[in-house]
Amino acid sequence: MSCQTLPPKIYQQSSSEGMVVKSSSRPKIIAFLCNWCSYTGADKAGSQRLTIPPEVSVIRVLCSGRVEPTLILEAFQKGADGVMVLACHPGDCHYKEGNLRAACRAELLIQMISQLGVDPNRFCFDYVSAAESEKFSRITNQFVSRLAVIL
Amino acid sequence: MTYHKTAVILCACSSIISDTIDWAEVQRLLATHPCRPLFKVDELACGVDHLEQLAEWLRQEQPERVVVAACSPREHETTFRKLLADAGINPWYLQMVNVREQIAWVTPDPVQATGKAARMLSAALYRVQRHEPLSERSVPVRTEVAVIGAGPAGMQAALTLSRADRQVTLIEKEPFIGGLPVRFEELFPNLECGPCLLDPVMADLLHGAESAHVNLLTLSEVTEVTGSFGNWNVTVRQRPRYINRDLCIGCMICASVCPQHRPNGWNCTGELAAVDVPFAGALPNFPHIDAECCLKLQGGECDACLAECPVEGSLYFEDRERVVTIQAGAIIVATGAVEKQEIPTPFTDATELHTAYSFERLLAMNGPTGGEIVKSDGTAPASIAFVHCAGSLDADEVPYCSGTCCRAALKYAYLAESKLEGADITRLVREQSVPGVDAGRQLHGDTSRVVRYAGSGDLTVSVEGGGQLISCSESGQQIPAEMIVLMRPVVPGGGTVAAARLLELPLDGAGFMVPLHSLSAPCATSLKGVYLAGSCRGSADVRDAFASGTAAAGHALSDLVAGRNLLVDPQVATVDAALCSGCKTCLQLCPYKAISWNEKDKVADIADILCRGCGTCVAACPSGAITGRGFSRDMLRAEMEGVLS
Repeated sequence: MSCQTLPPKIYQQSSSEGMVVKSSSRPKIIAFLCNWCSYTGADKAGSQRLTIPPEVSVIRVLCSGRVEPTLILEAFQKGADGVMVLACHPGDCHYKEGNLRAACRAELLIQMISQLGVDPNRFCFDYVSAAESEKFSRITNQFVSRLAVIL
Repeated sequence: MTYHKTAVILCACSSIISDTIDWAEVQRLLATHPCRPLFKVDELACGVDHLEQLAEWLRQEQPERVVVAACSPREHETTFRKLLADAGINPWYLQMVNVREQIAWVTPDPVQATGKAARMLSAALYRVQRHEPLSERSVPVRTEVAVIGAGPAGMQAALTLSRADRQVTLIEKEPFIGGLPVRFEELFPNLECGPCLLDPVMADLLHGAESAHVNLLTLSEVTEVTGSFGNWNVTVRQRPRYINRDLCIGCMICASVCPQHRPNGWNCTGELAAVDVPFAGALPNFPHIDAECCLKLQGGECDACLAECPVEGSLYFEDRERVVTIQAGAIIVATGAVEKQEIPTPFTDATELHTAYSFERLLAMNGPTGGEIVKSDGTAPASIAFVHCAGSLDADEVPYCSGTCCRAALKYAYLAESKLEGADITRLVREQSVPGVDAGRQLHGDTSRVVRYAGSGDLTVSVEGGGQLISCSESGQQIPAEMIVLMRPVVPGGGTVAAARLLELPLDGAGFMVPLHSLSAPCATSLKGVYLAGSCRGSADVRDAFASGTAAAGHALSDLVAGRNLLVDPQVATVDAALCSGCKTCLQLCPYKAISWNEKDKVADIADILCRGCGTCVAACPSGAITGRGFSRDMLRAEMEGVLS
């Protein structure tokens, strides 16, 4: 039996080792933000007193290219309801091309988590510049709403 | 898991934070945290007095780790690292929680904000347990600089550095210095004389007070570069000049008696003797011998020059190619640009055809015609057509605008009109780009006929009634053109391509050097200790060459200071050789060429001087052999678990 023929939700049962799926109204969201663009954009959202859902917990990395897919899978394994990776826009990466590596990895990860039975809607990869505080607020709020439908 | 004694500083930020986040409640929520943290609420932790009090508190409590919940680490991480250092704690044992920008200011509900602050603090407490003590590595650096290319940009960089008593090696592939503009009679837009502008600069370099600091290597090309920022080894191959520079007085009698001749490539026409200078006034004022042309060096019997040379020993036929290795802390690439060589289709059969460069030589007093605009038969042309964008803005040839040729064409039109009374002068224009106040004056003063054309397919060249005509098929206009000057696109010079290959630096779509940032770091590169000046970065004018030469020298001066060691940021990636499987995945990923292959141990090596800590290699290593210091897998995992627990 190939992996494609497995029922898509086979791994979505709670177990101490595997995926933990809880139907909670307060989803736990990990957002990996790069120091130079998206984290700065998030800081700016604060300066402008925009609203960011409290469910979103930011983990700062120097570059979105630092976030390995296994770390994202681990986040799901440990009970995250959603994971975001927010990178610099193409061409704006402080490290030239780390964001593009992150984008490639995200694309493959989305393919992979679907096969593992994780709803790809639980993962969000997007670009947020240091000026896009509004966008940061918008996409974090949208992501929480998107998860509310799933949970 | 062992937990270290951890101090937590909770900043109220003059009640900006504490109005939303209840620090007492946070302490209650974290009281049972396995770290058993030690809390201290401070009214304004970044205040100078407060920092002193906090340092005193830390010295008394002697924690092994410190968490500061305050504003963004982008604002005050350095402040609090210094606080730890002042308290005798390794500064890298710090973790900050951004409770102001990312919690208090974005979470309107105080209960939720307090809950989130406790959660993020818990994560930081777990993370900080995994922190390693780090220290900046101090590396001695050389302050000498190697400058590749002695055009205006390279000369300006070398002079700026030498005025700060820096030793500079200036490497030039031609037998003379000054680059392209030293061969131009008048410079746009104010029609200043090129040699007059550059002669004082060249004189300072060769004979001025600073010249003792400048080692000029002409006829030289870089063949290899090894090392890294602060300690480069630059290998240079110097072709023989066959002239003893200590003896030669530059009288050029040798050139006048030499029986052998070769085409003068620098003038695009005419001849040079086998021993000669490319043009009158070329500096340094020594001839050079073309070995392939010289009878004596080809094994023939000829002593014509030797017989007439007034200073015995000046002609030095035993001269051989030399290989020199230069040690330098920084490298400035000023290798320049050239005009595209191939002639576009409509003009391949045209006669009296010039490019901008060959027309510049025609205008120059030291050029092939002594500054007279004449055809190959020696007569003045009755009409000249200057073709703008000849190959530019063309998807099949060069899609970009070089940005300098319109201004040059306006200059040519003006000079042609002054030199050729009554001549019919036309500028064939696709687009015109003439920025600048002085350029605007030139544009409005221009009296030449301006004809718009659509593209190179729009033009044909024909000979009718003994005269050459350019026809525009779209407008049906026919333009008399006894002489045609093509404004060809500016493309990278051969030296620029070679330098990029040697330094493994990226090139842009047109083949120019890519700066570290096109706006904010236009003279730096992704390689630390390598800087850019002049038109190796893209088409540039003389003003840009001087400005960027100064800028590149500024980089070298501020990055490499005598007596100041280079402090290497410890927050870099490191390879655990025992875990590295030698798959070489990381080698291709590093944007800074910091990772090299260690052939002896069959593992990847990371040069901390070059690494900028992005962590792309850390994420890609399939063996988990690379650790991103400050952002290790363990630290991120602990932070994540702290958030989720």
